[in-house]
Amino acid sequence: MAHTRRTETTAAPAPAFVRAVTAIVGERGVRARPTDLVVYESDGLPGYHKVPALAVFPSTRDEVIALVRLMAREGVAFVARGSGTGLSGGALADGVVLLGLNRLTRILEVDAANRRAIVEPGVVNAWLTRAAAQHGLHYAPDPSSQAACTIGGNVAENAGGPHCLKYGVTLNHVISVTVVLPNGEVVTLGNRDGEDDGYDLRGAFIGSEGCFGVALDVTVALTPNPPAVRTILADFLSLEDAARVTSAIVAAGILPAALEMMDGPTIRAVEASVYAAGYPVDADAVLLAELDGLEAGIAADVEVVARLCREYGARTVRVATDPAERARLWQGRKKAFGAMGRLGSHLVVQDAVVPRTALARVLGEIRAIGLRHGVTVCNVFHAGDGNLHPNLPYDGTDPDMVRRVELAMREIMACCIAAGGTISGEHGVGLDKMRYMDQIFSADSLAAQCAVRSVFDPEHRSNPGKVVPVRSCREWGPRASR
Amino acid sequence: MTSVESIRDAVREAGATGRGLRVSGAGTWLDAGRPVAAHAPISTCTLRGIVEYEPGDLTLTARAGTTLAEIAETTAAERQWLALDPAGSPSGTIGATVATASAGPLSHAFGLPRDVVLGVEVVTGDGQLVRGGGRVVKNVAGFDLARLFVGSWGTLGVITEVTVRLRALPDVDETVTLPAAALAAVGRAPVLPIALELITGPLAARLGLGADPLLLVRLAGNAESVATQRRALGDDVRAVPGDVWSALRAAEPAGAPVWRASTRPTLFDSLWGVLPPDAVAHATPRRGVVRCLGVDPSVMLALRDHATIIGERLPADAWRALGAGPAADPLSVGIRKRFDPVSLLNPGILG
Repeated sequence: MAHTRRTETTAAPAPAFVRAVTAIVGERGVRARPTDLVVYESDGLPGYHKVPALAVFPSTRDEVIALVRLMAREGVAFVARGSGTGLSGGALADGVVLLGLNRLTRILEVDAANRRAIVEPGVVNAWLTRAAAQHGLHYAPDPSSQAACTIGGNVAENAGGPHCLKYGVTLNHVISVTVVLPNGEVVTLGNRDGEDDGYDLRGAFIGSEGCFGVALDVTVALTPNPPAVRTILADFLSLEDAARVTSAIVAAGILPAALEMMDGPTIRAVEASVYAAGYPVDADAVLLAELDGLEAGIAADVEVVARLCREYGARTVRVATDPAERARLWQGRKKAFGAMGRLGSHLVVQDAVVPRTALARVLGEIRAIGLRHGVTVCNVFHAGDGNLHPNLPYDGTDPDMVRRVELAMREIMACCIAAGGTISGEHGVGLDKMRYMDQIFSADSLAAQCAVRSVFDPEHRSNPGKVVPVRSCREWGPRASR
Repeated sequence: MTSVESIRDAVREAGATGRGLRVSGAGTWLDAGRPVAAHAPISTCTLRGIVEYEPGDLTLTARAGTTLAEIAETTAAERQWLALDPAGSPSGTIGATVATASAGPLSHAFGLPRDVVLGVEVVTGDGQLVRGGGRVVKNVAGFDLARLFVGSWGTLGVITEVTVRLRALPDVDETVTLPAAALAAVGRAPVLPIALELITGPLAARLGLGADPLLLVRLAGNAESVATQRRALGDDVRAVPGDVWSALRAAEPAGAPVWRASTRPTLFDSLWGVLPPDAVAHATPRRGVVRCLGVDPSVMLALRDHATIIGERLPADAWRALGAGPAADPLSVGIRKRFDPVSLLNPGILG
């Protein structure tokens, strides 16, 4: 989070290259003027500004392939980008070609009988669920940005969302991906027509943050809509109590579809905004639990969750059954990031995971870190997964505040790592988290990651300079024993 | 091999001489996979023990040689379980289960090892200790090495430790049977079984369940949920003891050819329908997978053009007839080269 705006102008691409690109995608598919390119200098994470040398927007699969082959011939580096909602700086193109995939928006097939769909990478996550709805199906991964983010981006980041507690993340819902590798070759990873055998290349590709190639189409699993859904909202005077009840619910044998939490500062930001959901503003935490499944037996599970919430100190427990009431309880959670816009001109949406049983302690430490550095921390997160999102609103024009936010973030990450956690649950490493990679992986493990990248992209032209620090990419091979 | 260090030393030593290693766990399934041309065995079966188990996290880390039975016993004490039920005996190890990506009927609801594994530690073919993934349930830090090691049959590295996701044991866990013809009706009924497995008549007979093909339906949840689901299945349901599942896992005759054929779920009937009447076989229809126990490989070869075929245990000529293995594409070859440059580990097992 350097907050240093690039002032030097990026070297302009060679005119012959621009002509070749234009021949593939037409004038309407090329952006070359600095005033146009500045639009793409950031993603959803503030603080980074990287201007691409050229932005290209193919409209068809063949155009994507032709572009990647052209860039392979010319040795040109590129960064694939969907909607640019990422939160790790992963889709920033620093003086290289930005390959925008958000014109490839066709849902190629919804195969309800086999519960799957085939989509182009630029299809927006929520569109897919909308298309599946008439068949009583939905696409389970539901990142908070689902109204804007694309399936291609979701695959690149292995996106999650509130409902992945029960249903799993993108990895668990992608059947196959057709990919154009950085060398221009087109391969299908995964098997549409039966079991997978051999190395799980599809699994390796998912979450590779655009470093292994560009998705041309994605075959995803669709999930039947549950016949019964209940949403439970409980409010607590202690964040730590609310954190403890999450483990108690799961230990009681109940796997909620979602188990989400918001802390006091988040609740107050939401309630002061147009997204007010009626959360009690004097609470230190609200817990949202969603149970789904068959109608039979769901009431008994709701009763267990409500009882546990009360035992752990909940003041009130509300249960919503009808869709309108449920949507209202969810509204504040889904719009929490937007509501935080009230608290500062900039917002860091952090992402880390800790073991569920460490939540209460880590949340206490995060609170202390915020106080120590005089920064506001709003926690809104997937409690059931232990996936924290400490959000830090701040004023990016105040260098002292920027420095304090930076310090607080480093301490928060260190605290999550020390608790046995990891540095990202769903946002990816991108640019922003590279500095923490050697705190969770040994040099040999990082070099192994680099080695896999080199198999997919020997020249490291696909999203260069991301995920694994270049210094970790020593030559991988047999070494002298000990 | 009782320590990771001893495994690493053995792999490095083999690397120095270029002599291939046969990697195994408990050694209960050494006749699976393509023939291996190895000089020496290397087993993780004495690398045992649960490293970390925090019930509130529903995660467990175990050394590779820990048996599935030991994991089941430890987790059951906390009313939890690892929802993987691969064929074979409970004395099989977690390392081998993950290395071979073995799964059973519970995959209907709970997925495959790739969906359950959170992290692995391996000694690679060039003797380096590498970790993929981690111990938390959600993790996108870096490239996902763990997925590559799951199902790699030991050819990228010797798995020394595994972290898996657990589930809470249901209050009630009941299995009922229905006539096989009820499959479509069960698909429309308001039930969410955790396993839904078809078995042929000859397999039913072997399990002591009569001579007709059957549908095994495993219902789980709280008492009210299970009772309501059982009623929804109609009057033809018959309760069977829960140990039918362990009997099914152990049903394959020693030494018999075992292979699987799979397709997309809507084409499942076309696979199931071509099995000879005396076939001993079971299937997970939702996944489109049929598993044949002792059915002649000629049936398998005839299905090759309409289905994905995966051999488990086959005679050498059947392996040859299947042709190139599943890791012959350039990406797989490249990955193998990076992790096991001189093909020390289980050479030939994937082709």
